[in-house]
Amino acid sequence: MSQLIWDGLFVGSFYALIALGYSMVYGIIKLLNFAHGDIYMLGAFVGFAALTSLGGIPASLSIGALLVVMLVSMLLTGTAGVLIERLAYRPLRGAPRLAVLITAVGVSFSLEYGVSAIAGPNPRAFPIRLEGNVFSLLGARISLPQIILMLIAAVLMILLNFYVQKTSTGRAMRSIALDRNASLLMGINVNSVITRTFFIGSALAGAAGVMAGAYYGKIDFLMGFIIGLKAFTAAVIGGIGNIKGAMLGGLVLGFVEAFGAEWFGGQWRDVFAFAVLILFLTLRPTGILGERVTERV
Amino acid sequence: MSENVDTTLAPRMTRPPSSRLSRLFESRQLGWVALGIAVSAPFVIATPYALNVMTTAAIFVLLASGLNIVVGYCGLLDLGYIAFMAVGAYTSGIIAKAFDLPLIFTIPAVLVMTVLAGLIIGAPTLRLRSDYLAIVTLGFGEITRITANNLTVTGGPSGIFGIPGLLKIGDFDLQSPAVFYYVTVIIVAGFVLAAARLGRSRLGRAWRFVREDEDAAEAMGIHTYRVKLLAYIFGAIWGGFGGLLFAAHLSAVSPQSFIFLQSALVLMAVVLGGMGNMRGVVIGALVISLLPELLRDLAAYRYLAFGLLLIVVMVFRPQGFWPSLGYEPERRKPDIPDPAGATEASR
Amino acid sequence: MKLGKRSTLLMGVATAVLLTTAGCSGGLLGGGGNSTADSGPIKLAMVIPISGSSAPTGAYMRNGAQMAVDEINKDGGVLGGRQLELDVEDEACDAQQSVAGANKAVSNGAVVSVGGYCSGATLPEIPIFQKADIPMIIPAANSQDLVKQNANNVFMINGTGKQQSTAALTFIKKQGFATVALVDDNTSYSKDINTETRSQIEADGTVKAVLSTSVTAGESDYSAVVRDIMGANPSLVYWTGYYQEGGLIINQLKNAGFAGKIMVADGSVDPSLAQIAGAGAEGVYATMTQTPETLKGAEDWIANYKKAFKSDPGPYSTQSYDAVRLAAKAIDDAKSTDGKAIIKALEAIDGFQMFSGPLKFTPERTLSSGGFVILAIKGGKFVLEDDLS
Repeated sequence: MSQLIWDGLFVGSFYALIALGYSMVYGIIKLLNFAHGDIYMLGAFVGFAALTSLGGIPASLSIGALLVVMLVSMLLTGTAGVLIERLAYRPLRGAPRLAVLITAVGVSFSLEYGVSAIAGPNPRAFPIRLEGNVFSLLGARISLPQIILMLIAAVLMILLNFYVQKTSTGRAMRSIALDRNASLLMGINVNSVITRTFFIGSALAGAAGVMAGAYYGKIDFLMGFIIGLKAFTAAVIGGIGNIKGAMLGGLVLGFVEAFGAEWFGGQWRDVFAFAVLILFLTLRPTGILGERVTERV
Repeated sequence: MSENVDTTLAPRMTRPPSSRLSRLFESRQLGWVALGIAVSAPFVIATPYALNVMTTAAIFVLLASGLNIVVGYCGLLDLGYIAFMAVGAYTSGIIAKAFDLPLIFTIPAVLVMTVLAGLIIGAPTLRLRSDYLAIVTLGFGEITRITANNLTVTGGPSGIFGIPGLLKIGDFDLQSPAVFYYVTVIIVAGFVLAAARLGRSRLGRAWRFVREDEDAAEAMGIHTYRVKLLAYIFGAIWGGFGGLLFAAHLSAVSPQSFIFLQSALVLMAVVLGGMGNMRGVVIGALVISLLPELLRDLAAYRYLAFGLLLIVVMVFRPQGFWPSLGYEPERRKPDIPDPAGATEASR
Repeated sequence: MKLGKRSTLLMGVATAVLLTTAGCSGGLLGGGGNSTADSGPIKLAMVIPISGSSAPTGAYMRNGAQMAVDEINKDGGVLGGRQLELDVEDEACDAQQSVAGANKAVSNGAVVSVGGYCSGATLPEIPIFQKADIPMIIPAANSQDLVKQNANNVFMINGTGKQQSTAALTFIKKQGFATVALVDDNTSYSKDINTETRSQIEADGTVKAVLSTSVTAGESDYSAVVRDIMGANPSLVYWTGYYQEGGLIINQLKNAGFAGKIMVADGSVDPSLAQIAGAGAEGVYATMTQTPETLKGAEDWIANYKKAFKSDPGPYSTQSYDAVRLAAKAIDDAKSTDGKAIIKALEAIDGFQMFSGPLKFTPERTLSSGGFVILAIKGGKFVLEDDLS
């Protein structure tokens, strides 16, 4: 039982990191960035490329190296996110939802098969591997790498929360989410704030990609597809557009999946997760923490 | 402005088509020409491979025309359309195999199952906003595939194989490649025609109204939920028959054929051809299904090209290569700058 | 509906153009299309995954087959001087593409098929080749479903799932493992070995299958199955899926502190398995037919392969090589390119020397013995552990 909870928490923290990017972008420009999961994949491959170009890394340095590579990867995926926004999404900002969504599907395809064309379709083994002791706590097997990764995720999320709540850019983000026209009138540079949002969201996903590569040890060009769907589910469960909701939703989804797999068998895990998504959307589309939005015509 | 008001996807066409060529392309009889080409193609080349590719393309046209009802006419983005094809293929395959029936007798069952599937998927989701709908349909598509992979009645991961042919009376077998191709062409032509007619019907107008402005449509007395559900059900039926033909064509159905990539390919055909315009969609479907066969060696780059093409088309020509005409011209004086900035900011 | 003047004209022109070209090619009116010519090269169809996630194995198979074709052609070809030609078609492990590929091969006038890797994609090819009287020598695909088709043109030269399960059970008993957990990845091939091994274990009775479960391929986190395995605490885990997930599961099991042994089936025998699994891969067993690396006396063969393709041979290189040699032998025996005659010749073959040993088909057209051996990972590489003889 405690093992179940721990496994759920661990996977959930990955979901939460990716869900944050989904939720931030959606909250601010109401865009469902379908390609967000593929940014996670891109992050893993950037990390892979950085580590292979560095050559052999002594095992003792692996955590330090990992952090450096993670920062590099975050910078690059953040930039990729900004570029995607500039090239694919911004020209369509006034366009119908359908057009933007289809573009997002196109971006997702381009990222997946672009990486596949460059790095090859075969899965790659990640050059460094987090390994550490396993110890037992309240009946759950917990490993050192798991704790390190969850700490990194927590630090990133706390930093983000601070950024959004306490800085002027964060305030600008929140105000754009509330009312873009009024923000514009108040002298907020809307485009630059949107760019920053994309940068931060993509950087978080990139960090998650490197973490997944280092923990699981295998990366491939389709690894972002399912996790992107799951992150969206997490964002919806928590209340899309709500940053704390995204974190909460990630953890909740992690639990729900762990329990679903326990009850129905591992091969039904994804079915269970999507069923939860559909249930939430029909019964409580605003999620756990979301506020009811009145539709104005 | 509210969240769910979309500006029109329709081209800003204010003049009737002027050139002779474009009038030719708008000619109502173009469908007959296409049918003529489809019917005479086997006289040019009738190797098993060519017939196989042409049959596959025809089935793909059927799928694209069905998705066009949902995406093109009604403006609902469905990313799990292939699930309906799976329902049709599995229903016909399982029943035909269990009772050793020719596939043609499974049509009523396919009809019932696909309508049910349309209802099950549509009823809870169609109240959602359009972007939620996209993800939910994607989820449903995956659920369908994984379920087919896990159940024993669907044959698990191997799927079902050795499915009986469409119909066989004495020596006359609909399954011989050339005959089957013609049967497929006739069925597909019927469905495409029906879809085009639906688009011009009262219901079709309601669909377009919902696509252009759901709130206004609701205010004008259109039961938008019911209209959307109908689009879904029609789309499902088209997909189901695509599945039936697919099962008959391959004599085998396996979960691998219903992955997300397939849904995306059908969507690509609809988007490239021109959402809402059945002729464009047919051409789009032919291009999407025939091009990879011609460029078999470039398989690795095909999806990359498709992805980039989607972005480019949406950014530069969102109405597709061959959009539908016949919309009300927009009433806006040309000298007033587009207030896109303002409308954009309010979404 | 009334046909307008213009459209009638258009249609007429279109039909006329098409009909005039029809006379000179393979249209419905243009005579029979299938030309099994009596001279020129003899085509061998090979429908294998060239794109998609199984593409690497497809390349190994193509190279192995090409090597045999080149050798045979250098030695004077078949039927007294006719050259062999390999017609490789991509199936991407997808039924629809494999049907298209098989049809293309038939249209190209192939005489024997020497492809088949993914069982799910190979199954729908059978009726197409059967209708054209083309024998299929299947080098890799080995699902029991292929045997159940009972098609007279299907010859499988890889051991079947059943034979692999028998080898697995033999080794399990020999090593004295008392409890076994069976895990598959929910693909046709993998599930086949799981269920087959389970039923053999139950029939045998000395060993206990404490867990038999499936996972979803393509994910990263397999903590659910790790939990199940830790709960059941077997002395051996038998993973019957492919190497991508196999590597992850081995790694996650070891990280969770699993103390028992792990064995994988032939789909996981790939150099990447050890890379993905990391340090935990050491000592993992595998049920596999002989690979060139483990065979005695195959050094020359490997050297030739490396010279020709600048890379190491991989899984199913040898089987594909043998498939082509077998096809050539059968064509020579039949003294014709007629499909029915070649099928007869294949059925009559006795003692043809292959990597897996001398060949004689069973009435089911499978190998009489699967030729499965047990490999183990030592120093990151698969080496022969036990030849089960």
